[in-house]
Amino acid sequence: MSDPAALYGIIGEFPTPVGAVAAARQLREIRLRLIDAYTPYPVEELDEVLHTPPSLGVALTTLAGAVFGAVSSTFVQYWAAAIDYPINVGGRPYNSWPAFTVSSFEVTLLFAVIGAFLAFLASSRLPLLFHPVFGAADFARASQDRFFLAVEAADPHFDAATVRAILERHGAAPIDEVLG
Amino acid sequence: MDPAFRRDDEFRNDERHVEMTVSAEHSDGLPVILPGVTLTSLSSHIGDAVLRPKMPLWWWIGFLFSLALLLVLVIASTWLFVNGIGIWGVNIPVAWGLAIAEYVWWIALASGGTIVSALFYLTRSPWRAAISRIAESMMLCAAASAGIMPILHLGRPGFFYWLFPYPNAMDIWPQFRSPLLWDFVCLLCYILMSLMFYYAGLLPDLATIRDQARTRGRQIFYGILALGWRGSTRQWRPYKTVYLIMAAIMAPMVVSVHSVVGLDFAGGLTPGWHSTQFPPYFFFGAVISGIALVILLTIPIRRAYALQPIITEYHLNALGKIMLTGSLMISFAYVWEAFGPFYGSEVAERTMFTERVFGLYAPIFWATIVLNVALPQLLWWPAVRVNEALLALIAVGIIIGMWCERFVIVVTSLHRDYPPSEWGNYAPTLWDWATFAGSIGLFLTLYFIVLRLVPIVPLAELRELLRDTAPR
Repeated sequence: MSDPAALYGIIGEFPTPVGAVAAARQLREIRLRLIDAYTPYPVEELDEVLHTPPSLGVALTTLAGAVFGAVSSTFVQYWAAAIDYPINVGGRPYNSWPAFTVSSFEVTLLFAVIGAFLAFLASSRLPLLFHPVFGAADFARASQDRFFLAVEAADPHFDAATVRAILERHGAAPIDEVLG
Repeated sequence: MDPAFRRDDEFRNDERHVEMTVSAEHSDGLPVILPGVTLTSLSSHIGDAVLRPKMPLWWWIGFLFSLALLLVLVIASTWLFVNGIGIWGVNIPVAWGLAIAEYVWWIALASGGTIVSALFYLTRSPWRAAISRIAESMMLCAAASAGIMPILHLGRPGFFYWLFPYPNAMDIWPQFRSPLLWDFVCLLCYILMSLMFYYAGLLPDLATIRDQARTRGRQIFYGILALGWRGSTRQWRPYKTVYLIMAAIMAPMVVSVHSVVGLDFAGGLTPGWHSTQFPPYFFFGAVISGIALVILLTIPIRRAYALQPIITEYHLNALGKIMLTGSLMISFAYVWEAFGPFYGSEVAERTMFTERVFGLYAPIFWATIVLNVALPQLLWWPAVRVNEALLALIAVGIIIGMWCERFVIVVTSLHRDYPPSEWGNYAPTLWDWATFAGSIGLFLTLYFIVLRLVPIVPLAELRELLRDTAPR
């Protein structure tokens, strides 16, 4: 894959998600695994056909962010109010934790969202300004109104002629070779 | 009908899919998208609006008008920094004047954006998609206007960063037990979270604009902003998850934001403020005034961008119903606010309330009641809910009514404190009004910039909606 002139894969353009799903199913059947689809909106059927891994990482990182936010904000308030700068106001307790819960709640949510956002970038491999598929003919329409299916040449079961035939049978046009 | 959708029948007949997307909402027979909208026409219509080389006349007129108002803010705050807040009408006993009333007013307007985009995402309301970008953009712009108000109101605005808990040479910390600090933490978290939520929603649309851009500069600008999004299945899956998680977090967040603003008042020992109903009372205000501003922005944008096929009467009807609900909720709070002083035995509460209803500021109090309680009752009529002119009129009324409400809460409570020796009146000065006008200028300027740069409807979500609502 390091040779820039080498074949990255074959990509087909479909007018509807139905053709792309059917083609993906058949490509999976001949044991191709390095398949990806590029669609203008999420097509849940493609997740199933392509066995896209569920994004558990996003959920777990959100939880981790929330725990970090809760613990750190509570600690900062406790430490400042009870240890570093205790002020005796009419004998009230220094660690007046009920008064700390509001700020802790907000900071918990903030870090949960930060965690979710970073995990999303990591799991979708962004930012990545260049990708070989951007070179495919007409690929600009993948973000508008067309559905693309790409098979990588690195797949051990990759055979250009077979892939082309399957894409064509399900209505892909044009079918393009992508260099990368 | 677009043949692309006819072939989608396979998907729609899948029961699981139907269960995922059908909403229990009653549509009153109005379509959520008019027939004739296709994936292609949607992308090109919105993309062309963003990428047009020259903005139309209405944009320039609006933008330059807003910029002029923003200049008023620059002048007013420069004069404030030079002279201190003595240039405003605030003094003891009424130490919180227009600036604080407007802070509360702006943050309520901002909350409406999140209520539409987060709460109604969770309910899977079909009308939410087309107006969520309008609402979220409104949220960010209004939050900017809200954020400057308390800072300007600080006696020494240059030291506002003392609110941050940072280790410092003075060896002191902020007072973490104070609702005013909670409010600062809350607003800061809210703005940061909203930015991330906004950007996450925008990302696939930025990729659409990048792919449509023809000039080099725009390709680079939107290319970098889109982060290289390619709409891969491996990107959509975490995207859907993260958007749902963010919406689920933003929904309680927005409830907490205005509740904490309510605590600023409830925590103060002032007649009329010291009440446990304030957090929900303020959130009700956020619902009614926030939705009112969403309506007020949606109606002209819908016309200017010719969005009638995707922002239909269904949307206006739904927004009208929520505005009516908000009105009923806030009416409940008003009743409770009147009940409290007479149920309790505190003379000062009764004095203050009587003064509020019949005293110097009574016209503003009654304006609140007319505009927030009486006028919105017109929304019971379905014909009113789909009439743009009447909806806009009611929305303007509510926005003004909410401003009056904030003024009444802030000023009338302070002007009749417990001991009669602490009674006094407040009149805004020219600089108070200049700051107010300027904050509107800041909001509008930011909003016109958003209109220039950002696709004003979320394309990816509308494409999904298009698939789900295509006739069977």
